[in-house]
Amino acid sequence: MSLLSPKEGWYDTKVSKDEKMWMVIALILCIAMFVWMILWHVYGKQNPSSITYRTTTTEFARLSEAYIKRNMVGMDNGVPVVRPEPNSDVFLLAEMWRFSPAMILIKDQSYNFHIASKDLVHGFSLQPVNMNFQIYPGYDYVLKFTPTETGEFKIVCNEFCGIGHHTMIGKIIVIEKEEELAQFGYDKFLKTPAPIIEVSEDKPLSEEQMITLGEQLYNLKGCVGCHSTDGSVLLAPSWKGLYGKSEDIKENGKKSTVVVDDAYISESIREPQKKITIGFENTMMPPTQMTDMEIQQITAFIKSIK
Amino acid sequence: MFRTCDITGFKVDLRSEKLIRYNAVFAVISLLMAVVAALLLVFTRYQPIHLLGAEWYYRLVTFHGLNALIFWIIFFEIAGLYFGSTVILNTRFCSPKTGWWAFALMVAGLVMSNVIILMGKADVMLTSYTPLKAHPLYYLGIILFAVGALIGVILFFGNLMIARREKTYGETMPLVAYGLMTAAIIAVITLASGALIYIPTFLWSLGLIENVDPAMYKLIWWGLGHSSQQINVAAMVSIWYMTSFLTVGGTSINEKVSRSAFVLYILFICLASAHHLLTDPGVSSAWKVWNTSYAMYLAVLASMIHAFAVPSSFEVAQRKWGFNKGLFQWLAKAPWGNPAFSAVILAIIGFGFIGGTTGVIFGMEQTNIIVHNTIAIPGHFKGTVVIGTTLTFMGITYYLIPLIFRRKIVGFKLAQWQPWLFFIGIAMLSIGMIVLGQLGVPRRHWDNTFSGGPFTHNFNPAVDFFWVITMLGGVLAFLATLIWILIVVFSVFWGPKVNGPQDMQLTISPLPPEGKPHKGFEAPGTLVLTFLFLLVFLALFFLNWKWLAATWNVN
Repeated sequence: MSLLSPKEGWYDTKVSKDEKMWMVIALILCIAMFVWMILWHVYGKQNPSSITYRTTTTEFARLSEAYIKRNMVGMDNGVPVVRPEPNSDVFLLAEMWRFSPAMILIKDQSYNFHIASKDLVHGFSLQPVNMNFQIYPGYDYVLKFTPTETGEFKIVCNEFCGIGHHTMIGKIIVIEKEEELAQFGYDKFLKTPAPIIEVSEDKPLSEEQMITLGEQLYNLKGCVGCHSTDGSVLLAPSWKGLYGKSEDIKENGKKSTVVVDDAYISESIREPQKKITIGFENTMMPPTQMTDMEIQQITAFIKSIK
Repeated sequence: MFRTCDITGFKVDLRSEKLIRYNAVFAVISLLMAVVAALLLVFTRYQPIHLLGAEWYYRLVTFHGLNALIFWIIFFEIAGLYFGSTVILNTRFCSPKTGWWAFALMVAGLVMSNVIILMGKADVMLTSYTPLKAHPLYYLGIILFAVGALIGVILFFGNLMIARREKTYGETMPLVAYGLMTAAIIAVITLASGALIYIPTFLWSLGLIENVDPAMYKLIWWGLGHSSQQINVAAMVSIWYMTSFLTVGGTSINEKVSRSAFVLYILFICLASAHHLLTDPGVSSAWKVWNTSYAMYLAVLASMIHAFAVPSSFEVAQRKWGFNKGLFQWLAKAPWGNPAFSAVILAIIGFGFIGGTTGVIFGMEQTNIIVHNTIAIPGHFKGTVVIGTTLTFMGITYYLIPLIFRRKIVGFKLAQWQPWLFFIGIAMLSIGMIVLGQLGVPRRHWDNTFSGGPFTHNFNPAVDFFWVITMLGGVLAFLATLIWILIVVFSVFWGPKVNGPQDMQLTISPLPPEGKPHKGFEAPGTLVLTFLFLLVFLALFFLNWKWLAATWNVN
């Protein structure tokens, strides 16, 4: 008996009819569920995919940025919006703490989402549809989505990724007809992406092109998250009238004053912790990967915001 | 060295008894810390109150997970393993000194990790998925705790070997000891996985290893994470059989079936950890389907077998006592006034109907898509490890207080109600969370309104109602746990001493009279209940697959 040695002959005791019946039913249920999952792969329309590519955080971030540059038709609250062609590849980047780009999709068309992270593990939670997948750094997860309804959808991050986790939310709009764009406020966007400004050695860019590219970077690299362009103070100094301004800063604990010029902007991007503007000691600017050319473009943009 | 229990007749090694007591006390301390954190968390996620700020919310989620799932459960299980080997088998403890070393390591680990978390240096969640990085002492604390627990498990095997050699229990090991032995075997596999993942991660946090691949981390971590749940299931089911024996003199109606079911747990659970990676990249669908079906279902089958074997042990004993009328007189006339009995029956119902059903359905490759990382997931596991394992442990403690601590239960009337309060509270919490998750609400998330983000999302308005249910359930469960802790503390430290069988408030049932061999079904009432379970399962199954089919197409 449970706390005592079992009765002699316990091994040969016949199994009672009802226990046997239940075990057979349970076994059939288990096998049925196994078969069900396999059949769903054949006949069902929702299956996690088996397509993953090994990548790196830098490589995927670059892919995503290039994709956005090539396909951007507008901005929504600081997030670039793209309008992918049906059956094309869309690169969705998850990073602390945003999803980019936002998308305009067409109902009943398929899109190959490539989803990866720039830093930590994130969660892809499409709401209110409620489809949930895991996003990794270093792994490009390819999922072919076909929206079956129109409307406004959000991508919520549901894998803890730091203190800003609950501010991480992306957007997808699904339409059937062009007129529907108006209800989402997207009707003013470009119909097709702007032509790409080719950057090459022998053809120098005009001032206007530099400013346009700079503004693209402002949104792509995430500066928009903390630096405003209208004078309002978010988490960092506003860029309005910033170029040429005398700024009070702290360097190694000592106060001093600098003039905001090309060199200062370059240093602030490459070594953000070196000189900190007084009043913003508590917000850390993350180091941002930018080429020299990109820094020049951002500087041109900053200069243009009087 | 020994005392012969004047109530049960078992020989108790006094050195083992002391170790059981100390481990049990630390189990209760861990539980207290875990539930205080839980209350603060539930008042934070209930957004009309939103008690904690974001930083402390995320911090206490880590704190709660570690203390509830690891420290409370494992301290209690080590006490249980020592009991199951020395007391049940009437044998001596192989090396008490080593037992105290194991205890010291576990306490050191508990203190180290908890202090580091509260200092804010380990906001990584219990899962600590890389590249999230905690302070090295966080990982070291867990490693020390795990080493201590592993030593305790090895001592359990040492006790078993001595008992066998000195022939202290007859021909075959009693079923409860057998069940605990399977739990211990799984524990060795589990703790080995734990070492495999925590040691490199610890070295990485020190800067000695450059990188711990996050996909590899998650795979191996869940080899520790889910297998540890199977230890809990095996231990819980063993205690169910023990409670049947103590309360009604019941035993498994077929020892071969029950023992085989325990063995199935060992064979298949590690592979079943795959169900944590169903919506992850990097592993193929074939791998996912194979591991969650072939592997998991054989472990699930084991649970389904116990689902019949455990209630039938109660039913058959009760029928032998004479409660033979109709389908359910055996249940109606059962000792409901015995809090150990009510706790275990409620645990069986909760574990089966809430935790078990959702576990199997959420663990299918495709339906996982609609619940992964939503709050339905913690809803599910509160339906297994809280309403199942924790309630069971609470129940059996009502016997351990008089039998091991030799004290009467203070506040016995309250103790009779406590399992019901806890059951209702956790049922509300669990079901509330499951529904919220089905409506898309994320887990481990501080702000349902996404303030600070570029956009916002409004959940289905029904979530307001279910947040209230969740919050109220959590409060009720907290109160029920507090009551249990207070009963335990007051009884153990200040309760009147137990001087013999006359002081027992819970009866220890004698063996029922031998009945005539039963023609036809031995446990028809249990069969009806298992069919009811099947109906509920099928309803939830089709509901979830229907919801999945209504989502966008993806492949």
